[in-house]
Amino acid sequence: MKPAPFTYHDAQSLEEALALLAEHGDEAKLIAGGQSLVAMMNLRLAQPGHLIDINGIAGLDGIERDGESLLIGALACHADIAGSDLVREACPILADAAGHIGQYAIRQRGTIGGSLSHADPAAEWPLMAILMDAKIEIAQPSGDRRTVEGADFIQSIYTTDLGPDEVLTRVRFPCVERDEGWAFKSFARRRGDYFIVAVGATLALDGAGRVSRLRLALGGMEVTAIRLVEIEQEAIGNTPDGDWIEHIAAAARGAGEPADDQHADAEYRRELACVLVTDALAEALNRSGRG
Amino acid sequence: MSRVNDSNNFLSIGKSLPRKEDRRLLTGQGRYLDDIQVAGELHACFVRSPYQHALILAIDTEAAEAAPEVVAVVTGKDLAEWTTTHRMAPPIDGLLPIEMTALPADKVRFHGDPVACIVATDRYLAEDASELVEVDYEPLDPVCDMFKAMEDGAPLIEKDMGTNLISHQTFETGNILHVMESAGRVVESTFSTPRQTPLPIETRGCIAEWDEGTQHLTVHVGNQAPHPYRSALAGRLKLKETQVTVIVPDVGGGFGQKIALYREELTIAALARHLKRPVRWREDRMENLLAASHAREDFVRTRAAVDANGRITGLTLELVEDFGAYCFFPANYLARVVAVILTGPYDIGEYAFDVKVVLTNKCGNGPMRAPMAITSWVMEGTIDNIARELGLDPVQVRRLNMVADDAYPHVMATGETMEDINPGAALERGLEAIGYADFRRRQEADREHGIYRGLGICSVVESTTYGSKFYKAAGIPGSGHECAWVKVDPSGTIRASAGVMATGQGYETSFSQAVAEGLGVNPQDVDIKLGNTDIAPYGMGSRGARGGTAGGGTLYLAATGVREKALAIAAKLLGLNTAYQLTMRDGRVCRLIDDDIQETDLTLADIARTAYLDPTRLPDGMEPGLEVTRAYDPPPMTYSNSCHFCEVVVDVPTGAVEISRYVVVENCGNVLNPQIVEGQQLGAIVMGLSGSLFEQVVYDESGYNQTGLLADYLVATASDMPNIEILSVATPNRRTPIGLKGMAEGGVMGSIGAISNAVSDALSPFGAVVENHPISPSRLRLMLREKT
Repeated sequence: MKPAPFTYHDAQSLEEALALLAEHGDEAKLIAGGQSLVAMMNLRLAQPGHLIDINGIAGLDGIERDGESLLIGALACHADIAGSDLVREACPILADAAGHIGQYAIRQRGTIGGSLSHADPAAEWPLMAILMDAKIEIAQPSGDRRTVEGADFIQSIYTTDLGPDEVLTRVRFPCVERDEGWAFKSFARRRGDYFIVAVGATLALDGAGRVSRLRLALGGMEVTAIRLVEIEQEAIGNTPDGDWIEHIAAAARGAGEPADDQHADAEYRRELACVLVTDALAEALNRSGRG
Repeated sequence: MSRVNDSNNFLSIGKSLPRKEDRRLLTGQGRYLDDIQVAGELHACFVRSPYQHALILAIDTEAAEAAPEVVAVVTGKDLAEWTTTHRMAPPIDGLLPIEMTALPADKVRFHGDPVACIVATDRYLAEDASELVEVDYEPLDPVCDMFKAMEDGAPLIEKDMGTNLISHQTFETGNILHVMESAGRVVESTFSTPRQTPLPIETRGCIAEWDEGTQHLTVHVGNQAPHPYRSALAGRLKLKETQVTVIVPDVGGGFGQKIALYREELTIAALARHLKRPVRWREDRMENLLAASHAREDFVRTRAAVDANGRITGLTLELVEDFGAYCFFPANYLARVVAVILTGPYDIGEYAFDVKVVLTNKCGNGPMRAPMAITSWVMEGTIDNIARELGLDPVQVRRLNMVADDAYPHVMATGETMEDINPGAALERGLEAIGYADFRRRQEADREHGIYRGLGICSVVESTTYGSKFYKAAGIPGSGHECAWVKVDPSGTIRASAGVMATGQGYETSFSQAVAEGLGVNPQDVDIKLGNTDIAPYGMGSRGARGGTAGGGTLYLAATGVREKALAIAAKLLGLNTAYQLTMRDGRVCRLIDDDIQETDLTLADIARTAYLDPTRLPDGMEPGLEVTRAYDPPPMTYSNSCHFCEVVVDVPTGAVEISRYVVVENCGNVLNPQIVEGQQLGAIVMGLSGSLFEQVVYDESGYNQTGLLADYLVATASDMPNIEILSVATPNRRTPIGLKGMAEGGVMGSIGAISNAVSDALSPFGAVVENHPISPSRLRLMLREKT
């Protein structure tokens, strides 16, 4: 369990990292926290000839608010996000989800940029990016920036829109509205494991207590997290009560085309989706202005 | 001997002294294999088979040999010249002989089978080169299911054997057939444990050094039984046993996985000798999961003949165990014990068993803490099924069938004699602690609110410290005795050694207490030296919960021998005719005058100085020096008992199991160090719970191991485990030194049964019974879907 030979580069600036990527192309891989990449290298599933360490790049780990957006730098680690007062105020579901990632040691090293770039189907950040319509900011070799929607960025299992010569630099999340309820619910075999199924939900109500916006996404049902757009749209104008939650949960049960694996068969994933959506909506409702 | 077994009189044992070894282990100063540096050492790695069953047509090592810094690449053909073939053929009825080479030259038998070894100056480079070894395989049909392996025409793991059924043993009492046929009711139950792996935190590994000048091999290796290991190693390398020294450093856990001489270690030792250079191998985690001995994988069916009150009039057991492809131990060794001790605390006179052990294309099995782990679940699960079928209270069925505590010694139907145990007291004490009647009320009330609470009870009679008579009766080679020495140096310092070896159990502390008790000194003044075969006496090693009773007991006896000699010298020095009224306290000779103890000026150091440096003052005819070596052969079996109570809440919508309370009542006799024993109890219970809830080696249908990572082979973490309350109803064993009993495996047996029975109890309104492990949420949901 030792990695194949590679050359290590300690990039001190974004420009240097981009130049190294341009030079080494497909042979190169960026490393931040290394929580997935190092394991894959040790198993020789990944054999990059060049490893470009971006931890030394100043300013890539910031967390800041920009009007109605929350900007999280690619190098921000899960623990920093989970513990950030700013995140807890502006978009608390992100802090909650970050706190569910792995174990303490993993949260100290793993980064949001790394997690999104790796795109594990059972990871929290891809689910959050899809749920919250995150805008993924990417530095291109030319130095120009481009922005991709979360749902477009995460393409498939371990597959993203990020080019081999690009660097994910920042993620822009919308802040939740005042009185907007939210909930993140996940189920795993053990605390800290990748989830079998997870649910993210936000719920905003109008003055009459009717649903004005529902965001609802499920992880673990497909190769990527899925956004339940139809259910979200149909929910607008509904009065959220127990029957409504039951109705939505029943609809969520049929979402996606889950597969069987060692820890869960497809039917079990559907059952979990139903239970977790129920719990998530009840909690989001409770946290909403009405709750 | 009244002093011996009365725990009130102990001065050194029975006290929770802090572990001596923790000073180094907890401050990062321990010396494990990886902390040992040998000048000029080379690093090895193994090329392993991606196939589960395939002929090896050719192995091309040329490219690997030409890789940078590669010193050697060897295969099974090379090893065949340097090592002997191991033949496992003990004279056991129903067991077929089987042979094993150092590395397979003919065919691979499981996914992960080693086929070549690369030696380079650096482990990274060795692994780079391993990718260049080209093995030409001709795939064969594999057989990875033990039932299919027994069918006619199944692919054969060992062609010459002509069958995969390597062991088949049966037993029946005279009247069992009649009892079963004429029974008013027969309750049938099944139980399955999947394949597991011991998962020590430190994987296997070794360093082998060959001294060409003295023609001597020194092997540093984490191992539980250094002397039998040395015997095996010398034999396989065609060396005299005096040419081999085995040194065991600090070890990060064994759990049964570090007893046998493994093929990889033999290969490394042979390479060190051949290359005349030190060679190091450290197994990585994936190798450990794929290719270090696995365990469990049993299917069990019981049939219990019962009357209307739930009295068991007869019991039959069928057991099939999947042993994998290689036998590092006699294949019947583990399963047979389950069958022999199954009835445990219950009075079941008519009994029969049928035990089959089968070879398949999987990693070879070995012992894992509680080789007979499934026993208590099988017996107690059978009892719960009887209670459910007859609509009786499971506690009443237990009480009705249990041997009364005052009726021991009790001879089981299989002929095994249990003595000095009190399963009845343990059951009643636990029921009181758990509040049984109140629990049933809470259970009933909570069900109205959709909360499914369950209580699992599991009585355990644990077979420990197998004596040589047991080995002989079972036909297993080896012995159950142990050897120890205690030496007082001329300066009065005390050292002691035994043949057992710790892999984390705190022997240096508990053994120092045993020696201190026997000799009459402070445990702090006793140094325990273990794990070097040139220093320690030849012993049988640590396994089968024998460390305390065989190891500690033998050390105690050796220490009492030293005390007797020391006091005889003291009597002479004090001008007394006899040592009758002398004793040793904290290293000082004391006189017993009536009920009073008076210190003399004479210390153990004075006596030692005399014994070594002034022998003319010794009593007439006495040998100079102050040391004693003793061997001790424990009773055929030393039993301890416990009763486990596990309360769970099953979340029916998700299938999640939460353990809300865990109580265990233990009788493990007098104990050397209660804190260390408690650690063993907690560790054993957690190991059983982890196995029951999480652990499973998964081979897919084609025999490919899908659990080569700890992301896939799940093991409980601290946050998954409950608080565990430990109560005691201890009584000493009357035949062992200081009343000791073994105890390190019963917790595994008990927790497996308690958690399984608890979940079945919780789900009883749905008619669902746990029959398979792990008790995963998805498996429970599948069961509930089928029932509703």
